[in-house]
Amino acid sequence: MIEVRSLTIDYGHGDRSVRAVEEIDFHLKPGRSLAFIGPSGCGKTTILFALAGLLPPSDGLIKIGENPVTGPRREVALILQNAGLLPWKTVWKNANLSLLLAGEYPEQNAGEILDNLGLSTVKARFPAELSEGMKRRVGIARALSTSPSVLLMDEPLASLDTLTRERIQDLFLTLWQEHRFSMVLVTHDIEEAAFLGQEIIVLTERPATIKQVVENSEVGSLDYRDAGAFQRTVHSLREALER
Amino acid sequence: MKRVMTYVVSVVILLLAWEIASVVVNAINQASLLPGPFDALSQVVKNAAELQRHFFASAWRLILAMLIALATAVPIGLLIGREQILDRLISPMIYITYPIPQVALILFFFIVFGTGSATKVAMVALALFFQILVSARGAAKNLDEEYLTSVLSAGASHAQVYWHVILPATLPEVLTSVRVSIGLGVAFLYIAETHAALGTGLGAFIKKYMLFRRDRAFAGIVAMAILGLVLYVVLDLLEHLLCRWKYVKRNSLKMSQRKGKEHEAS
Repeated sequence: MIEVRSLTIDYGHGDRSVRAVEEIDFHLKPGRSLAFIGPSGCGKTTILFALAGLLPPSDGLIKIGENPVTGPRREVALILQNAGLLPWKTVWKNANLSLLLAGEYPEQNAGEILDNLGLSTVKARFPAELSEGMKRRVGIARALSTSPSVLLMDEPLASLDTLTRERIQDLFLTLWQEHRFSMVLVTHDIEEAAFLGQEIIVLTERPATIKQVVENSEVGSLDYRDAGAFQRTVHSLREALER
Repeated sequence: MKRVMTYVVSVVILLLAWEIASVVVNAINQASLLPGPFDALSQVVKNAAELQRHFFASAWRLILAMLIALATAVPIGLLIGREQILDRLISPMIYITYPIPQVALILFFFIVFGTGSATKVAMVALALFFQILVSARGAAKNLDEEYLTSVLSAGASHAQVYWHVILPATLPEVLTSVRVSIGLGVAFLYIAETHAALGTGLGAFIKKYMLFRRDRAFAGIVAMAILGLVLYVVLDLLEHLLCRWKYVKRNSLKMSQRKGKEHEAS
């Protein structure tokens, strides 16, 4: 269970402080998915970083499970815009980074995940040797290596070509159903939000406040893109954003 | 093979230019002032034993100075590059002391610390220290923040951030700064070695022969150039070894793209 109450985040101090996020409230039950959509630079990523424990709220409360979020934690994984891979580490080390940092030497877990994601032949390679799509999959492998209960994603598929993007969206959907984590997605791509978010929060310009909440409960099948409900969600999201 | 050929051609052109310069200078002055490359190189062979002794004396001083500079300048540079409080405290001191010509302190150093090897090493280390410090600080400051977010969200401690991100990310720039500072290091070493009344090192050798046996002195200069070149090449190899990730791209991009397509297709 994720619970966020009156979340407000300011950058900087005193006169020079800028409000990025204002009075955001939402909650998310275990195993469900939520997408944030809003104009570029509105503060979407800020909300996600606060959930990841990387930014302390200026005001309000964030709870994941029983406890308030005070820093990064193992059961919460974050996938960054460019997969967040370290260029000087091999695919295997990147995929197992969280475990290695915790002083664990993984043998099976991430190895298995890498195999399932079709990365078994590139374990010893460096990120620079991979295609963009493969880099994203290494990022996914890393996020799943700790078996998280919450997966946070910050525009995980930005700057990919349409076909690769849809393939990885399909992969997210399959993994979500298989691993049953809660999923919070931040995106500016309307179709991505409509394909993956059971609930979609439309944000205003900075400072981000909630403009509208769109229910999208039929999410969950790979051919959802062809469904009428999908088109209706896309339509209402477009309207909400343009308003 | 092609690369080796271009190097051979460059060396031949350089020797030729040197020979021409020597002929011209000597003709104008009507005296044998500038020895030609063949005189100098034959002196390298004839004085091999003596040159070797001085070469290694200089080489270990330079290498030791480099290691001392690295061991001190890298941690300080990275820390002030990343920690704002330290930056505010230490950077002004660096900007004030950096432009002081360290050469001007050589005599003072000799008076205070004597003319032994330790002083010479310290002088060279001091010169390299600033070069490495400034580049380590800059590299740490300009780090891509996404790397930090990435390891912090994976649960890295403060020390782990340095070890897994800041150090490897800045290493290529630091090693490049050491490589381009070799010329400066050799120059400082020369000055330090010639300032001591007597002693070992190529600087002392060159000084000893410059007035009356210029062909031998130029043999020393050639040896000093070789010393710089060897260190340059070693550092280049070291960078390729330690920062392999930076160089893989060019060789295997095509191959991995092909593999990537196969994976995405499967």
